[in-house]
Amino acid sequence: MAQPFRVSDLAGIQVRPARLWTHSLSWILFVAGIALYAHFSIVRHRENPEDRVIPSATQMIHGLKASVLEPAEEDDPLDPGATLFQQVRHSMIWKDTASSARRFFTALLLLVPAMLIGLHMAVFPYVGAFFLLFVLFFDKIVALSLLPILFIVFGIDEWSKIMLMVIGVAPTLMLDTYNIAGGVPKEQVVKAFTLKSTNLDVAYRIVLKQVLPQLINSVRLNLKPLALFLFAGEMIASTDGLAYRIAIMRRHMGMDIIIPYLLWVALLLFSLDALLRFTNRRLHPWYQPL
Amino acid sequence: MQRYPSALILRVLKQTNSAHRRRTLRICFAACARMVLMASLACGLAFPAVAQSPTFTVGWSVYAGWNPYFYMSKSGILKRWADKYGVVIKVQRFDYAASLDAFVGKNIDACTMTNMEALDMPAAAGVDSTVVIVGDYSNGNDAVLARNNLTLAQLPGKPILLVQKTVSEYLLERAMVLNGLDNQLPHLKLLNTSDSDIVGAFLGDKSNQVAVTWKPLVSEIVDQDHGVKSLFDSSHIPEEILDLLVVRTDVLKRPDGSGLKFAKAIAGAWYETVAQIAAANAQAISGSAAASGDSVASYKEQLRTTYLYSAPQSAAQFAQSNELKQKMDLVRQFCFRHALLGQNVQSVDDVAILYPDGAIQGKKDRVRLRVDATYMQLAAQGKL
Repeated sequence: MAQPFRVSDLAGIQVRPARLWTHSLSWILFVAGIALYAHFSIVRHRENPEDRVIPSATQMIHGLKASVLEPAEEDDPLDPGATLFQQVRHSMIWKDTASSARRFFTALLLLVPAMLIGLHMAVFPYVGAFFLLFVLFFDKIVALSLLPILFIVFGIDEWSKIMLMVIGVAPTLMLDTYNIAGGVPKEQVVKAFTLKSTNLDVAYRIVLKQVLPQLINSVRLNLKPLALFLFAGEMIASTDGLAYRIAIMRRHMGMDIIIPYLLWVALLLFSLDALLRFTNRRLHPWYQPL
Repeated sequence: MQRYPSALILRVLKQTNSAHRRRTLRICFAACARMVLMASLACGLAFPAVAQSPTFTVGWSVYAGWNPYFYMSKSGILKRWADKYGVVIKVQRFDYAASLDAFVGKNIDACTMTNMEALDMPAAAGVDSTVVIVGDYSNGNDAVLARNNLTLAQLPGKPILLVQKTVSEYLLERAMVLNGLDNQLPHLKLLNTSDSDIVGAFLGDKSNQVAVTWKPLVSEIVDQDHGVKSLFDSSHIPEEILDLLVVRTDVLKRPDGSGLKFAKAIAGAWYETVAQIAAANAQAISGSAAASGDSVASYKEQLRTTYLYSAPQSAAQFAQSNELKQKMDLVRQFCFRHALLGQNVQSVDDVAILYPDGAIQGKKDRVRLRVDATYMQLAAQGKL
C-alpha cells in the first residue's frame, strides 16, 4: 500500500517515492536548463534581434532543417525532385555523422586488443612484467601533445585521428582491465587447474568471462574521452565529421547549427551507452554490481 | 598587534611549542584577514575614482599589423592620448577567434579584425560596427604554398591544407579566379587544418603538397623546406585583405560623447605609434616584435609584406575611395557564397555597408557595418 507523501520524506532515506514522483523529479533539471537558455536567448534577442550567440528556437529549427535536409556546402546541391529519404541521405548531418562514426568505431574496435593485453597482463606474470611499468607511464602522457608526431607517422587523413583516440584511451582501458582481472580470486584459478584447465582456458573461460561485464562498463565510462579525442582530432585537421562542422561553424558563430549538432552528439553517445548497458544486462544477468 | 606578516611566519617556523604555534598562527591569520579587509577597502575607495572616467577595452591579436597596439599601450603613448581625452583605455590580447567572440558578445568595445571578419562576425550577427581605423593591408603576408613546382592549374584534386572560411580560403579563390580557373573551384579539395598545427602537418608529410596560410607561418615553412614555393600571395590582390580597428557603433554613439573621445584618443595614439614604426624607431619595432615573441628580424620581414597606412591621409583617402567599395564587394560576395553571413541570410544585401560618402552597399534598412573616415581625417589634419 503506497504511503501518502509527506514533506519530511524528501530528506528521508527509508522512503520509496512513487513512480510519478521519480519521473517528474528527473525532468526538473532539464526543464530548468531549457528555461534558463530561453531566458538568456530572449534577453539577448530583445537587445539585438539578429543575435547569433544564443540562437532562438526559430533560428535553431532553421539551422536544424538546413543540416538535416540540405547537403553540406562543399557538396553538390540535390535535384529539386529528391525524396525526403534522399534529402536526409545526402544531408550535411548524415555525412558528418557517418564519417565521425567510422572513425569512432574503428578506434573502438582497436581498443579490444588493448583490453586483451590488459587481461594477459593480469593473468600471465611475464606479460605483466613486460607491459605494466610502460603502460603505467604511457598512460600519463597527454596524447594531444603528440599530434604533430602522429601526423608525420600516420599522415593527416583518417589514421592520425583514429590513433589519437586509441593512444589516448587504450592505456587507461588496459590498466583498468588489469586491475579488474587481477581481482578474480586466486582460489578459482587454482581450482580450474585442478579440473584440468589449460592456461588459456583459465585466461579466457574463467577470468575473462567473469570480468566481461565490468569491462563493458569500463568501455562505457570511456566513451566520453573517446569522443573528446575524436573531436580534438577532427577540429585540428579534417574534411568532414561532426567536430569539423562545429569548427567551421565557429568561424562565423553559426551557433544555430552548433547547438543542434552538440545535442545530436550527446544523443548518439547516450544511445550507445544505453545500448551497451542493455546488452550487458542481457548477456550477464548474473552480474550484480555492489 | 600590527606585526609584519613575514616576521610572524618566521616566528611560527621557529616555535616548537605546538600550543604557542597555534596561537601565533591565529595571530597570523588575523593579520592576513585585516590586510585583505584593508585592501578591499582601498579598492572600494579607488574604484569610484576610476569610474568617473569612462573605460574602454580594445582587443587585439597577434599579427604584424596589430602588434603595435601592444607597444602603444606599453610605451605610454596610449595613456597620454587617453588622458588627453579623459578616458581610460585598456588593451587586451586575445586569440583571434576569441577576440571576435568577445567583441560579438559585447565584452569588449573595440577589436582588431580583417574586413572579412568584420562583415561575417559582428555585422552578420547583427552587432552594428564601425570601422574607425584602416590600419594596413596584407601585401604578401598571406600565401598559397606548394611543393614540387606545382602550378595553380594543377591544384584541383590535391588536398589543400588551410584554415577554411578565413582569408586563406579567400586568397585561394582569388588566385584561381585571377588565373582564369573559376570553373575549377568546385574541384578543390580543402582540408581544414588548425593554424596551430598547419606547419607541422605540412612539413611533416611530403604527400601534403599545398597549403595556404599567413605569416609568420609562411616564413617558417619556406625557411625549413626550400622545395616549397609560393604560387600566389596577397601582394597580387592589394587592398583586399584589410586589417581594421572596429568599434561597436553603440559605443561610439554613447549619449555622453565618451565614445567619440575614445575613438579620437585611439586614433591619435595609433598614428603616433605607426609613425614611429614607419620611421624605423628601434624601440617601436622591438616593442611590437615582443608582442608576438618574434625576433626583430622576423618582425621586420613581416612588416615588409604588410602595407601599413602609416600616414593618416592615405588611410582616410582609401577609406573614402571607390576602390574600397569594389574590394569590399568582392569580400562580401565571397562571404555570402560561403554562407558566412548566416544560414538564413537570403541575399548578400542583407548585411549592408555604409561608406563615408553616404553610399550604401546593400539594403538601406540593414546597414550593419559602417566605414567612418572621420578619425583618420582628423588625424591627417592634425586636429586630434
